[in-house]
Amino acid sequence: MSKRTTLQIATYGIVCLAILLVPSFMDDAFILNKYARYLVLGILALALSLSWGYAGILNLGQAASFGLGSYCMAMALKLRTVPVHTGKTGLPDFMVWNNVETLPWFWEPFYSLTFAIFAGVAVPVAFAMLLGSFIFRGRVTGVYVAIITLAALVVVNLLIIDQQRYSGGFNGITDLAQLELFGLTFDAYSSSSYYLIAISLTVCLFFALAVTKSKAGLILQAIRDHEERVRYFGYDVARFKTFAFAVSAGIAGVAGMLYTIVMEFASPTFLDVQLSLSVVIWCAVGGRQSLLGAALGAIIVTGMQGALSESEIFLESWTLIMGFVFVMIVLFLPKGLAGAIESLVDRIIPEDHAVQVKSRAAASRRGVENEAGSP
Amino acid sequence: METILAQILTGLSIASILLLVALGLAIIYGTTGVINLAHGEFVMIGAYTAWALQTYVGAGLIESLVVIFFVVALFGWIIEKTVIRHLYRRPLDTILATWGIGVMAQQAIRLAVGGELRYVQMPSAMSSSVSILGIEISAFRLFILALSAAIFGFTWYLMYRTSFGMKLRAITQDREVASCFGIKSKRIYSLTFAYGAGLAGLAGALVSPLKSVSPEMGTTYVVDAFMVVVLGGVESLIGTVASSVILGELTGFLAFYSNDTLAKVLVFLAIVVLIRFRPQGLFAAKIRS
Repeated sequence: MSKRTTLQIATYGIVCLAILLVPSFMDDAFILNKYARYLVLGILALALSLSWGYAGILNLGQAASFGLGSYCMAMALKLRTVPVHTGKTGLPDFMVWNNVETLPWFWEPFYSLTFAIFAGVAVPVAFAMLLGSFIFRGRVTGVYVAIITLAALVVVNLLIIDQQRYSGGFNGITDLAQLELFGLTFDAYSSSSYYLIAISLTVCLFFALAVTKSKAGLILQAIRDHEERVRYFGYDVARFKTFAFAVSAGIAGVAGMLYTIVMEFASPTFLDVQLSLSVVIWCAVGGRQSLLGAALGAIIVTGMQGALSESEIFLESWTLIMGFVFVMIVLFLPKGLAGAIESLVDRIIPEDHAVQVKSRAAASRRGVENEAGSP
Repeated sequence: METILAQILTGLSIASILLLVALGLAIIYGTTGVINLAHGEFVMIGAYTAWALQTYVGAGLIESLVVIFFVVALFGWIIEKTVIRHLYRRPLDTILATWGIGVMAQQAIRLAVGGELRYVQMPSAMSSSVSILGIEISAFRLFILALSAAIFGFTWYLMYRTSFGMKLRAITQDREVASCFGIKSKRIYSLTFAYGAGLAGLAGALVSPLKSVSPEMGTTYVVDAFMVVVLGGVESLIGTVASSVILGELTGFLAFYSNDTLAKVLVFLAIVVLIRFRPQGLFAAKIRS
């Protein structure tokens, strides 16, 4: 293992440890819940970093996987409540209001929590695999990937809103039971939920890190930098891209399930265009080519949003400030905060000289190609 | 027969608004490669300018149009000069920067005039409806239809019959070579961006009497307009018109047979499939890549 990889793993470990230790200093349930929410969005951002930063797939529909995950969890938790109108094992309340007579078939399996958790990952992954192989087999790249994923997100979102009888429509699925797992109850306003989310973040972070360090991860980065060249080497580019797309969707699905737990509802806003674009912004601020950077980017930005919107002075103007900060970061820190820190680290711990020269040369070559490619 | 004709007219009315919003976007994207997510906010600012002129100056909508065009064009020009100009080599980053600008513009308007809905009066001469072949259609919608056709005609003339347009097309084909011939590409880019913004402003002003004016109104337009641009093919003005008409009619007809939401779902699905098989759009112009 190189010195840099060790340093990277150490940094990841320290940050995760710090996140895990927060509840020992903080016992305000409301604040813990808020922090837990930021952490969930951090998981969502690291999922995008995996596909955007490492595989070069700008997925503007990341919220689709997130929303599908959150609905899977919400359906299971909804079935665990006792509806006022129909009693135990009766229909969820919004179905009664919409004159649905029997539980639809696709709701049935969600009586099993195990199935729901499985589905919360499997449904987004299956969706991403279908969409991904559809896109990447056709060798669609760049902006067009962004637009297709955005359109696909709008489709899923509208369908959920439209099928009010089965999905709760605009209101989403509300009044959920609390998650009970391994004899533990995960109250949204308790440290148990915080720990669940912090541990999930750690697991997702290290899992994604392992993916990027694997051979497949290296090939993905090569595809990001020069797709044609990798194709000439005989690699099935479409398959690798679909893989990255699906793994990213699976992690986003996990984040979605956790979000339902801390928010205590699922709603179509979890998969709207606004959120999906926000994820991209978080990644850009934190640094798209760093998993930890992206996650911290989400936590910092949403944390700042929360803090600014609560303070008296900035109540009115916080979005103005956020917008300004985004523009400045895009202009002056194209690799985000993580990129800025990395270049600092580069100065302190210089890489092997030969490698540095090579990567510089590659970077300038890329620059030339980009210039030629831009209109 | 009459319902079909009425449907076609409804579709054309949707299409004319789509065209107005998308035309500016198509020119900006086609020429500079900038993915302008702030385009919806240009539309919004156009609508607010119309409202402000009506409320504070008492100007009617039609008289205000020229002023609105220049106000929003100036706004676009300033943004190009301060932000966009640094991003031409990083086209994907323009998504982020313009999104940030859009957020700022929304909030600035909210701070300046408040977030509540505003209403713009329809020109009184056009508030009645006209009967065409036995079908009643609002005179104002007919006016929008005619005006968007005229604006398209003007844009076409600008692009293909003036020296500005020729320079612009030269840069689109090959910026380096065009620069070698003495074309000031920076200046052309700023002007193009300003012109696209101005068109969006006009679109905003024209839809303002039909829909209420709010700081968030642009968001709905920008996604739809992008679909038009992609469907039509970059750098193809005719393609933008054709795809506006296709999308407008498709939305109109599908909404008639099912409902608005499902119509949109089907249209977006069609777009996904289409981009997959023809990423260059339906009416791609031949350019050197």
